[in-house]
Amino acid sequence: MANVLEVKELSKQYSKVLAANKISFTIGKGEIFALIGPNGAGKTTTIRMISTLIKPTAGNVLVDGHSIISEPDKVRECITYLPDEAGAYKTMTGKGYLKFMAGIFADTKNQADEFVNRASEMSSLGERLDEKIASYSRGMIRKLLLSRAVMTRPKLAILDEPTSGLDVINALEIRKMIKKLAHEDGMSFLLSSHNMLEIEYVSDRVGIISGGILHTVGRIDELKERYNAANLEEVFEMVVNENEVP
Amino acid sequence: MKFLNLLKKELRELINKQMIIGLVITFAMLLAIGQITSSVMDDVGSDTGTVNICDHDKTDYTKQLIKAVSDAGFEVKELEGDSSDRAQLLQDLDVENLIIIPEGFTKEVTESGKSGVIEKISSMQSSSALASLNDKSSAAVEIMENTTKQYIMTKNGLTAEETALIDSPLSINEVTVVKDKSAAISSETISSLISTQSMVIPIVVFILVMFTSQMIITAISTEKIDRTLETLLSAPVSRISVLFSKMLAAAIVALINAAIYMLGFKGYMGSFLEGEIDASVIGEALTVNDIMKDLGLKIGVSGYVLVGLQMFMTILVCLAVSLILGALVNDAKSAQTVLMPIMVCAMIPYLVSMIYDINLLSPAVRTLLYAIPFTHTFTAMNNIMFGNMTLYWGGLAYQVVLFIICMFFALKIFTSDKIFTISLNFGQKRKLKKANK
Ligand SMILES: Nc1ncnc2c1ncn2[C@@H]1O[C@H](COP(=O)(O)OP(=O)(O)OP(=O)(O)O)[C@@H](O)[C@H]1O
Ligand SMILES: [Mg+2]
Repeated sequence: MANVLEVKELSKQYSKVLAANKISFTIGKGEIFALIGPNGAGKTTTIRMISTLIKPTAGNVLVDGHSIISEPDKVRECITYLPDEAGAYKTMTGKGYLKFMAGIFADTKNQADEFVNRASEMSSLGERLDEKIASYSRGMIRKLLLSRAVMTRPKLAILDEPTSGLDVINALEIRKMIKKLAHEDGMSFLLSSHNMLEIEYVSDRVGIISGGILHTVGRIDELKERYNAANLEEVFEMVVNENEVP
Repeated sequence: MKFLNLLKKELRELINKQMIIGLVITFAMLLAIGQITSSVMDDVGSDTGTVNICDHDKTDYTKQLIKAVSDAGFEVKELEGDSSDRAQLLQDLDVENLIIIPEGFTKEVTESGKSGVIEKISSMQSSSALASLNDKSSAAVEIMENTTKQYIMTKNGLTAEETALIDSPLSINEVTVVKDKSAAISSETISSLISTQSMVIPIVVFILVMFTSQMIITAISTEKIDRTLETLLSAPVSRISVLFSKMLAAAIVALINAAIYMLGFKGYMGSFLEGEIDASVIGEALTVNDIMKDLGLKIGVSGYVLVGLQMFMTILVCLAVSLILGALVNDAKSAQTVLMPIMVCAMIPYLVSMIYDINLLSPAVRTLLYAIPFTHTFTAMNNIMFGNMTLYWGGLAYQVVLFIICMFFALKIFTSDKIFTISLNFGQKRKLKKANK
C-alpha cells in the first residue's frame, strides 16, 4: 500500500530554536496517526511544514507522492489543515463560512454545494448555521471548523488538537466521526493531541516527540509492550523522561 | 473563479454597517460645512451693512456728514439714546455697532480749528476674519473723516481738484499675477480663498490614509490572530491571490470612499465658489469661480485627474505599507500600535501644510517633509494650481518607487515563512519560551 504521507528527516531551525530535528515517519491510506509530546515539543512546527505553511530547513515531505518543496500547490489539493486554537470569520454565518471555504476547494458549483451539505450535516449545528459565527461558543466553532476540514474528503486531514475546547460528549462524537471517515472512506489523518485517552481510542499509530526529536513511533499496543506500561500515558512519561535534556 | 470568491469575502468584511454609517456622516458633514461657509460668505457679500449713528450735535454740518455716508451706499440708521455705559447703550439700542457724534462736534471742527472727536463703538462677537469684514462702521467713519477733510480744505481756499488730489495722492490698482495671468484682485483675497479650498483636500486625504491603513492592518492581523490565514494558505489558492484579493478589496472600498468624499467636497466647494464677492472688494460683482478661472487657478478636468492619480498612488502606498505592518501583528493590541507610524506620517504634513507653504521652509525641513510620501498628496492640489508640475511629478514618482519597494518586501513576507514567524511582540515570544523550559 502506498503511503499517503512520507516525512523524511524533516528539520526546522528557527532563529534560535531547533524546533524539529530530522523527523521521519509515514502514514498509510486510511490510517490515523497521532503526534504526541509535551508543550513546545515541535508538533505544531512539524504539522505546519507538512501543510506547506512554513518551509523546512532540511528534509522533505511527500504527500501522495508530491513534494512540499517542489510541488506545494499539488500538496494543498490533497490536504486540509485545522490549526489549533483556530477561529473563523466572525462576521460570516456558519453557512457563509462553509460556502466560502467550499468555493476555495471546489472546482465546480455542484461540488461546492456537495461540500457544504456534507459539512452542514456533520457539524450537527442545524439552525444555528444561519447565525453569525460571532455568536458561537468555542465548541461550536471547533465543530464547524472540523466539519469544514473533512467536507472535501481530502487524502490527508491534518488536525492540530482537534477536540480541544469540546465537552466530553462532543469530543466523543468527533472521535467517532474521525474513525469512521478513516476506516470507511479511507481518509488518512495526522493528529496532535494532549489527551492520551483520546489518542488511545482513536489512533492506529502514534509518534512521541520531544525537544524536536521523534523518539518513538509505533502501534499503541506495541509501545505498551515495549515499555512494559499499562497505558499510553505511562509510555509517554517514560519516553519523555528518558530523553529529557539535562 | 476562486479569486472572485476571495474578493467577495474581503469586500463583504470591509463593507459593513460601521463603514456605511461613517461614510454617510462624513458626507453629510462636508455638505453641512459647505452650507455654513456659503451662507457666511453670502452675509459678507450681500450685506452692505447697517451703520448706526447717534447724532447728538444735530447741526447742518453733521446732517451733511450722515448724508455723505448714506450716499456712499450704506444703510444709515439714526438712533437716539445716551448712556455712559457703552455696553448698556448698545444693548438698549439693540445694535452691534454705533457711531456717536458728540454735542459740539461742528463747533470744534468749523470754528476752533481743532480736530473733532467721533466715537465708534463696536461689539466684538468673534475673532473670525469674516466677522470683521462685516463691520461697516469703520468705512463710514472714514467717509466722515474724508468729508470733514474736504470741508476744511475748501474752507482754506483749495479747489475741488486740489482737495481730491490731496485726498488720494496715489491710486492703487491691485493686481494679482499667477505665472503669466493676472486678475484685478488682491493677493490676500485669493490666498484666503485657496487656503479654504486646500483645507478640505488634506482632510479627505487624511481620512483616506487612516481608513485604508486601518482596513488592511485589521484584515491581515485578525486573520493572523484567528488563525484563519493558516487555514486559507494551506488551501489550494496561491498566496499571491489571497494577498491581492485583500489589496483589491481595500482599494475598491477606499476609492468608493474617496469618490463619496470628493462628491461631498464638490458640494462644499460648489456652494462656496458660486458665492459672490462683495463688489467693493473687487470693483464689480464676480463669482470666485470666475476670478479663479481668470488666474488659471481653477483646475480643469485634467487637473482633477492628476489629483485623483495622486490620491490613488497614495492609497497604493498605504496598502503596501499596511500589508507589512499588518503582517507584524500577532495580537489585537499591537494592531493599534502599528497604525501609529502611519498616523504620524499623515499628521505631520497635514498640520504643516495647513500652516506653512512647504516650499518656503528651510531645505532641511523641506527634504524631511518630502520624504514622507503623504506630503506629496497634501501639496498636489496647490502644485497643480500654480503649475509646479516638476514637484507634482517628482512626488508621484517618489510614491511609485516607494510603492514598489514596499510591495517587494510585502510579497517577500507573504510568500515566505515570515508571515507566520515575524512578530513585533518580543515579550510574548519570551514568555512562550519560558513556558517551554
Ligand atoms: N515563530 C517561531 N519563531 C521562533 N521559535 C518558534 C516559533 N514557533 C515556535 N517556536 C519554537 O519552536 C518550538 C516548538 O514549538 P511548537 O509550536 O512546534 O510546539 P508544540 O509541540 O506545538 O507545542 P504545544 O503543545 O504547546 O502546542 C518551541 O520551542 C517554540 O518556542
Ligand atoms: Mg502546538
